Amino acid sequence: MSTLKPMPLATKISKPYWQALEQNQLKIQQCNDCDSWVFYPRNHCTACFAHELEWKEVSGEATLYSYTLTRIPTMPEFSDEMPQALAVVELKEGVRVNTTLIDIEEQDIQIGMPLKPIFDKVTADGKTLLRFTAVNNQGGERKFDNPLEGLPVNDKGQVQVPVSNLSALYALADNKFTEWSNSIEVDQTLINAFADLSGDDYWLHTDPERAKVESPFKTTIAHGSLVQVLQSRLTIALPFEIVGFNTMVNYGSNRLRFPAPVPAGSIIHGRSKVKDVSTSHKGVQLTLEMNIHVQGNDKPSVINDLVILYR
Amino acid sequence: MGLAGNAAIVGAAQYKPEKYQTAPQMFHLEQVADLAHKALTDAGLHKNDLDGLVINGPHFHEASVFVPAMAAEYLGIEVNFAEVVDLGGCTAVAQVWRAAMAIEMGLCQAVLCVIPARMAPLGPTEDPAWMAQAMRFGGHSTAFGAPEAEFDLPYGHMGQNTGYAMIAQRYAAQYGYDKSAMAKIAVDQRFNAQYHQDAIFNGKDLSIEDVLASKLVADPLHVLEIVMPVAGGAAVIVASKELAQRAKKRPAFVTGFGERLSFKSPSYAKDMTVTPVAEAAKRAFNMAGLSPKDMHAAQIYDCYTITVLLSLEDAGFVPKGEGQRFIKEHNLTFKGDFPLNTHGGQLSFGQSAAAGGYSQVIEAFDQISNSAQARQLSGCDNVFVSGTGGVMSEQGALILQGG
Repeated sequence: MSTLKPMPLATKISKPYWQALEQNQLKIQQCNDCDSWVFYPRNHCTACFAHELEWKEVSGEATLYSYTLTRIPTMPEFSDEMPQALAVVELKEGVRVNTTLIDIEEQDIQIGMPLKPIFDKVTADGKTLLRFTAVNNQGGERKFDNPLEGLPVNDKGQVQVPVSNLSALYALADNKFTEWSNSIEVDQTLINAFADLSGDDYWLHTDPERAKVESPFKTTIAHGSLVQVLQSRLTIALPFEIVGFNTMVNYGSNRLRFPAPVPAGSIIHGRSKVKDVSTSHKGVQLTLEMNIHVQGNDKPSVINDLVILYR
Repeated sequence: MGLAGNAAIVGAAQYKPEKYQTAPQMFHLEQVADLAHKALTDAGLHKNDLDGLVINGPHFHEASVFVPAMAAEYLGIEVNFAEVVDLGGCTAVAQVWRAAMAIEMGLCQAVLCVIPARMAPLGPTEDPAWMAQAMRFGGHSTAFGAPEAEFDLPYGHMGQNTGYAMIAQRYAAQYGYDKSAMAKIAVDQRFNAQYHQDAIFNGKDLSIEDVLASKLVADPLHVLEIVMPVAGGAAVIVASKELAQRAKKRPAFVTGFGERLSFKSPSYAKDMTVTPVAEAAKRAFNMAGLSPKDMHAAQIYDCYTITVLLSLEDAGFVPKGEGQRFIKEHNLTFKGDFPLNTHGGQLSFGQSAAAGGYSQVIEAFDQISNSAQARQLSGCDNVFVSGTGGVMSEQGALILQGG
């Protein structure tokens, strides 16, 4: 089972480091007491224990301390980087950094070689990893290489992602909601029809007179499971289409919640986002978080983490 | 400073290394009791002789805290000394000297040192897929704020293989690299494994060509230079001199030890090619009043061939940079002039998680106590043992001597 590549989570201690990288700057800490450089970020100097560190911009000039080329990916989601050129790099200031080398031919990698930094944008919103390359290469910013770009688009304007293109699949999980779907009304007639069909004719759903007096909502509300299935009437404009699979299976749900009621007569609409993409021996598993809201209500009435399996 | 040599390993037990898929599944507490019984039987001592317990904490199945108390309760023993050791592959060596120290301080007279490493049975609601997911990052922490989660994993730096590979590459750049010398470490140890029935590779020959033809995992390491994880588990009984006189076998006295660590990722070592065992071994030899040339065997922790090379050099058996020449010039088998990992090493015996380090400790005890059967060395009195955890991060050394 594999999911997205692990991403750094900045802490209150390391935040200046990651923020600087996003601005194509390398900042590391120096001790105001003993002048030692410190990496990775801490609140204290590892040489003298003083808590007087200052962030300083450095050039990123470095030499290669050691490296290895992997012939088996260290994690399955790094299979698009094979061979991974894992490296330990020593900055001019003397501190070492775990990183990867890019754009150097295998036979040209030499321990001790001079290197310069690459500010590699790894997400569309500018998250940056620090990589290194040979001094003769172009350094500086490396633009986000969106794996979805250049893929064909169908007649609905959806980018067609082959189920075999792992990096493109991973790029779908950007945690961004689609636009809202069309809207539909959930009226008492619809609720009554669902009560007949399901056998759930509890008064809270079917008796407007009693609900007016006894319900905390002062009206009948739709069954949670009714609102859940109404998803089929909502046209969600997914920006992608998965292609190139043999079978697509609705694998069920990882999470189903009904956080807010849908009073009879409400107008609902929905939207979704790709929450996770993972691969396993079963195939590619896409988790689509579907949210249905009463129009104007920030709190969703249905949260459904749908799991779709492609193989 | 240090030990007077008044505590000894007097008994041992070790599960035969087996593949996880086919090994018996037992609760860790159940293994602790079973291994304790076997080790006490080996020593000729009784449960009520035990008054100390040293156990592993991480990966203990039935508890993550209060492990010694739970184990003492389960065993039905009362102890004056309880300790958890969390030093990866160095845990075995570290458990033994802690036990010896406690005995010499008069805290206790017989200490059970134990690491269960068979899988526990899954509970009715436990999902094996969930466990696989939990194991995904190996020994790497993914906790918020863990330096490796923030600065290593996003770059794909994960696992032991690539760390050891980078150490080997750095060594190669400084001193040169002789692939066939490195392969010979695995080959000579495989020879030894043919004389240990429990070794996972018993009955399977290995040549230098086989090693070099095996798959490259991370340059320059081939798959046959890397240990195979197996299910297992081990225990030893460390006892006072007085109790040792009652033991069935010749005791192996702990006369020297050393321990050293200062980083988890070797990227932050002062010099990647000078390993922590350098300091650990120096202390151990000084404490014992012996030197490497006094050793009749070396049981060197061998998660990778590169670990053996660097340990031989840094522990003082051969000068820095000359290890590969030494390996080629010497027969490292139990029949040779430099008996190394006479049980096959973990490379050929199998690595049962942290208990793998006990394969070296127990082989030293077997040789000293004349229990090594077909691979018995003659006149084996002094044995050097090393342990290594993490990525050459935490290392320890023991000097064991026959009484």
